[in-house]
Amino acid sequence: MRDLKLVRGLTQQAEVVFAVVMRETRTRFGASQLGYLWALIEPTLVIFTFYLVFKVAHRAVPPGMDLFSFIATGVVPYTLFASSVTRVAAAIDSNKALLYYPQVQPLDLVLARAVLEAATFVAVFIFLLGGHALFTQRLELESPLTVVMGLAMASMLGTTLGLILCCLGEYSTAVERARGPMLRPLFWISGIFFTAEALPEGARAALLWNPLLHATELVRSGWFRSYDQHHVDVAYVAAWIGGLALTGLMLERTVRSRIEMS
Amino acid sequence: MLDDLSLTIPARRGLGIIGRNGAGKSTLLRIIGGAEQPTVGDVVRKGRVSWPLGFAGGFNGSLTGEENCRFVARIYGLQYDHVIDKTREFAEIGDYFFMPVRTYSSGMRARVAFGLSMAIDFDMYLVDEITSVGDKLFRKKCRAAFAERRERAGLIMVSHEPATLVDYCDSCALLDAGKLWVYDSVAEAMAAYEEKVPA
Repeated sequence: MRDLKLVRGLTQQAEVVFAVVMRETRTRFGASQLGYLWALIEPTLVIFTFYLVFKVAHRAVPPGMDLFSFIATGVVPYTLFASSVTRVAAAIDSNKALLYYPQVQPLDLVLARAVLEAATFVAVFIFLLGGHALFTQRLELESPLTVVMGLAMASMLGTTLGLILCCLGEYSTAVERARGPMLRPLFWISGIFFTAEALPEGARAALLWNPLLHATELVRSGWFRSYDQHHVDVAYVAAWIGGLALTGLMLERTVRSRIEMS
Repeated sequence: MLDDLSLTIPARRGLGIIGRNGAGKSTLLRIIGGAEQPTVGDVVRKGRVSWPLGFAGGFNGSLTGEENCRFVARIYGLQYDHVIDKTREFAEIGDYFFMPVRTYSSGMRARVAFGLSMAIDFDMYLVDEITSVGDKLFRKKCRAAFAERRERAGLIMVSHEPATLVDYCDSCALLDAGKLWVYDSVAEAMAAYEEKVPA
């Protein structure tokens, strides 16, 4: 009896999350002429910008990697993370009206956005790196599972952090304003422009405190046959995710009544 | 706001709720519907309970009427084709049904919202101060559809209009200072209300 109830509850939540994902897909991409293509175009432009900068500055990439793939494998996990934070942080505010339907709970909105971001950036990754492989007639992809794990880490770090910001945002609008400046340093220290392997030892030890660097490292080592990472600590990242998730879920419980009242 | 309140509402019962502004009628309705959680206590629902009727705030302006209906059908785990067709037929807004909701007049929004709540078979309808919308003909249609539905489904209605309550409810509750008194007829509840709140 209890089991049935649990199954029914899970089915209903899955239905709700799916409905919100479909709806968000329409509201997010459906409005413009190019629609879903925008999701692909945006990160592509970012990557091409860096591509040009690297070319002009004659920056060298690690041996065995081509410039385009090197940048793409860094930009995608970072953007997935940053975009998850931003989208999840606004998840409840922008869909508050949906909470009027009793089966829609705040966490469903959060989950739906996380799922949509993850799906979008997996598509972006396949589009960019698959496209590049087709173009150059050379596919790297040493270990798909390692790539997926790296992207999953970036997604979960972003979602859990976004959840915390989302809840704190219910208390103060300062949170929203602080978000940008807070995240910006991560852009420079998350391995978009370097690999952990290539860093001097002191800097490496310091930068490895950043869990997002581990995600980037995993994606790169899973993608490039020539790159093996020796510094990723999955348990360390899992601890971050667990801690952030726990904090976020606790905060969600305390602000739940606030959300519903307004 | 509500204090130690316990209430069992039988299926197919039509219960009216009256009380002064700010007494907590809408809050009670939202708690019954599940849009809000009580600080203490539980709500046990048997069957499908509607959202407070006439509410169109859950519609997203950039989506079409059709897409909004699809979303609601999905979260209730229903076949959306069926729900969409029924809503479209009922609302009678023509091709606007396939246009973004933000282009609708408030009357058109209300038509779709009401049509949608009729397209889903609820066992219990929650009605919060339904303000009559649309032209005379449409109002008549709503009344007829609702009366027909009332034969199979229960109703909890918040209203300030005794006439409306008498039409739909066979019992009535008075909410005052966090306590709820249930009476067997709307007239009795109204009498008690007059007594408590000197005009």
